[in-house]
Amino acid sequence: MWLTSKIKQVLMVIKPGVVTLNYPFEKRPVPENFRGAPYWDHEKCIGCGGCANHCPARTILVRDICQEIRVMVYDGSRCTYCGRCADVCPEKAITMTDRYELATDDRQDLNESMELFMLTCQRCGRCYDMENVNMIDRMDLQGYRYDNIEARTFIRKTTDRFDPEMLKKTADYKRPSKIGE
Amino acid sequence: MNSLDKVLKTLQDKFGAGITGHASPLPTRLFINIKAENVREISNEVVALGGRYLVGIGHDNIARDGNIGMIHTFGFDKDNFIVHLNAAVPGSNPVMPSITPDIPGAGWSEREYQDLLGMKFEGHPKPKRLVVADDWPADIFPMRKEVPYNMVPPAAEDVAYQLDECPEGCSIIPVGPFHTALHEPEHFAVYVDGETIKGCDYRGFMTHRGIEKLCESQVSYNEVPFIAERICGICGSVHATAYSQAVEMAGGIPVPKRAEYIRSLLLEIERLHSHLLWLGVAGHLIGFDTVFMQSWRVRENIMWLSERITGNRKTYGMVIVGGVRRDITPEIGEDILKVCAKVEEEVKIIHKSITGDTALHKRTKGVGYLSKEEAIKWSLVGPVARARGIDIDVRRDHPYAAYSELQFNVPVVDTCDVWGTLVVRLLEIYESISLVRQIIAKMPKGEILTELSEEIPPLKHGISVVEAPRGESVHFVITGEENRPDRWRVRAPTYPNLQAIPAMLLNDQFADFPIIVGSIDPCFSCTDRVEVVNVTSGKKRIMSKSEIEFISRGNR
Amino acid sequence: MDIVYIVVNIVIFLAFAPLFEGIVRKLTAKVQSRQGPPVIQPYYDIIKLLGKENFIVGNWAFTLAPLMSFAAIISVICFVPLGYKANFLTQYADVITIIYLLTLGGVSILLGALSSKNTFAMMGASREMVTMIMVEPVLAMTFFVGAVKVKSLGIDATIFSVMNTGYSWAVVLMMALYLMALQAFVGKQPFDIAEAEQEILEGPFIEYSGPNYALFKYSMMLKQMFYASLFVMVFVPFLYTGVYALDIAIQLCEIALVYVLIALVGATNPRLRIDQAVKYYAVLIVLALSAVGLSVYGI
Ligand code: SF4
Ligand code: SF4
Repeated sequence: MWLTSKIKQVLMVIKPGVVTLNYPFEKRPVPENFRGAPYWDHEKCIGCGGCANHCPARTILVRDICQEIRVMVYDGSRCTYCGRCADVCPEKAITMTDRYELATDDRQDLNESMELFMLTCQRCGRCYDMENVNMIDRMDLQGYRYDNIEARTFIRKTTDRFDPEMLKKTADYKRPSKIGE
Repeated sequence: MNSLDKVLKTLQDKFGAGITGHASPLPTRLFINIKAENVREISNEVVALGGRYLVGIGHDNIARDGNIGMIHTFGFDKDNFIVHLNAAVPGSNPVMPSITPDIPGAGWSEREYQDLLGMKFEGHPKPKRLVVADDWPADIFPMRKEVPYNMVPPAAEDVAYQLDECPEGCSIIPVGPFHTALHEPEHFAVYVDGETIKGCDYRGFMTHRGIEKLCESQVSYNEVPFIAERICGICGSVHATAYSQAVEMAGGIPVPKRAEYIRSLLLEIERLHSHLLWLGVAGHLIGFDTVFMQSWRVRENIMWLSERITGNRKTYGMVIVGGVRRDITPEIGEDILKVCAKVEEEVKIIHKSITGDTALHKRTKGVGYLSKEEAIKWSLVGPVARARGIDIDVRRDHPYAAYSELQFNVPVVDTCDVWGTLVVRLLEIYESISLVRQIIAKMPKGEILTELSEEIPPLKHGISVVEAPRGESVHFVITGEENRPDRWRVRAPTYPNLQAIPAMLLNDQFADFPIIVGSIDPCFSCTDRVEVVNVTSGKKRIMSKSEIEFISRGNR
Repeated sequence: MDIVYIVVNIVIFLAFAPLFEGIVRKLTAKVQSRQGPPVIQPYYDIIKLLGKENFIVGNWAFTLAPLMSFAAIISVICFVPLGYKANFLTQYADVITIIYLLTLGGVSILLGALSSKNTFAMMGASREMVTMIMVEPVLAMTFFVGAVKVKSLGIDATIFSVMNTGYSWAVVLMMALYLMALQAFVGKQPFDIAEAEQEILEGPFIEYSGPNYALFKYSMMLKQMFYASLFVMVFVPFLYTGVYALDIAIQLCEIALVYVLIALVGATNPRLRIDQAVKYYAVLIVLALSAVGLSVYGI
């Protein structure tokens, strides 16, 4: 019994053979749906901030440095590669690439930042609103937040300052279909 | 047979004035409001009726009615329902009787709220610190709402945990915080006489990340699943599913059938992964690295598969409140079946080659013995309990997701030792494979996600239990106003199992320590969720960090 | 000129011991479906360790221990009649000397462990001591079986007893026992109890680092090679050609085969507990005694 077990254990390997790869020289291909490092396409992005609001790691920061310029910073050092940002982006501006070898000695290598030229609504002064039917999402978006890009963090304002009346008012606010109308 | 009405009636008859109200939002859930001073008798009665202690949830309600609440939950496994005993004590003087003397499994839950909410439990047999760091200020209770989530009080160097008294004639072997047998930082002080273990004290919660507090103060409902997933590197989907189900129960959110099937599929794939991983680790812990490598080789197929299904090898990120994120396409379905066939074949080979191995028997049979009665007393869960003849499995007893429509066996053995857990886990691998096949065959068409279009009403309670590979995970959610849970309590399976470790270790050899601790498949980071701890105590003489650095540099 | 044989002995042992260790690792890796480290990895390990910082965490004994252990095993190696050529040193010693020297190697491990005052090291030391007490007799009996046959305790006479007088039942039994004790001699699974990485973190060596650890590692490898070569020389001396260089080459090949066996047994066994191991050793000792008895009666 003992000996047959031993023999079986040694023979077990014959069929699979050696399975480890000579890694850095030989890479395992990634599948097509792989969730690697996200990549922002600045041409498609409309600066809605949806990704920033849904990122569980809170690693996408948005800051309007003046009326027209919105800076978006993605800090990959905290990213969990969940792909939630890519899911919620209305313009499909984010792709989850197949890059996974992200080790670096400089944190900056993992960052991506965009400066977007925004048009603002003449009435409310905000960039625009989403036609988001999801109540939770909408509430989240309209709770103001202050993103501190230098410190890579944001300070979220709580409902104490949040006016539910305003939420109701903006509930069926539609984005203008044509800019300038 | 019990029923909710019967339990309620018995309790009302017995403790008329002690019961102040009740509600039953679902046919399988019963919430009973009780007076805090009667909690001990009522819990005893519930246990006598057949309840199994699940978890205690403390929550801060001071801002609303000045009270701190403590909810003890009990599962009735034969009859598929869960009873909650809801007690509240004033925030100014939060003292209530402890139920630990009769129900030892509640020990940690109570100690946790002693640390985190400043409650006092009268009559607790071991009211030591459990969760917060040794140098954490005594009058700050991190789970209270007024404490900000990112508060960092100044650290003190020379405060250290007082270990239990060492039994006469024994010496202390410090295992951890860093030790090869522990994959995460925990500290066991093992009292040995020669090589025989005579006792053990545990100081854990060293990897507290403050997840519960973070999610109660920072993120919103649909981001929590991703954070929940990171409670544990291995049973991520379990936590995400359990959390989502708890929110869905609290908010009455319907989940599409197809999503439920996909959730079950993920859970089963995760179980396959976890059991193979455990088998390997167990081999490694007894110095049998071939089993380790071979079972991890088989596990690689599962990783490959989950990468295709979800886009990542682990932390699937599939489950969110209301459903799942990605669909299973027919091609992936085929892949799944192919991988199942392969894994089944390979596991059979490994199974055959190790079950008859007497060398393996020597290291596992009779090791870590804990009788069935003890195991019930400690409310063990999962394969550890099933190896001790306790026939519980949440998938069957409290069906969730698609499990009520699937057929499977629950392997139970009664060897009461490490070998039993090995056998149970191996058999469960086959069950999981058959479950995956059934799921693929039966999966209905349709939507996979219900969008959250209504605001979830605040202060609703939801509880869900999910059978993780290591046992059941319990998640309890109290919904809040700001689009995020007001209270989210996670009880991972290691939480009850770890409490029984000292009992299992007693009178075993020190050489068996790794495999006994390993047999519960401990997941310390699941157990630790709340704060940051740093302990540098090791031996009886407690050294400060700088001191240790000093002597370890050879300056004696 | 006689000194040449001793130099050859030492050079060959020093040069090949890490290689054989590398073979064991590679083979273990193959059984585990891995690529495994390059065969010459143990050389790299030793070179790397030699270049590292040397932490001294005990008194003088802590530094002395690795030197002593290395010196002891080198002295043992001087006596080995590699290539079936007994060198001149053998006349000044007998098999008891070899046993003493091997014990000295074990004692120096104890010494280092105890002077480091580490809990795990102490535990490892006590296990090491038990193992030593229980397996040294098997080695002694191996010699005695031969010694009784040729009525001499001389190293060459004892070791070449099988070559010169052929097999007997006692020798066959002893050979089986030697094989059964081999894993304990070389400290591999299932008898790597004293080091037991998952329990007591390399036990006696836990506090060692850098060159000191390299010396210990090297002497362990030399010890393993000694036990393997002893088996080859005592029990399978068929391929004796008479040409010195050729004999050495043949012996090295045979030693490699013994290592293959060590690797396979090591890869397919869990580590035993010390109490289980002691029972096992006890059986071995009793059987070894009976082998000596058989030998006395000339069976
Ligand atoms: S992948 Fe996830 S964590 Fe990373 S930026 Fe996108 S949403 Fe955030
Ligand atoms: S969600 Fe898409 S469009 Fe909106 S800010 Fe992010 S990347 Fe740009």
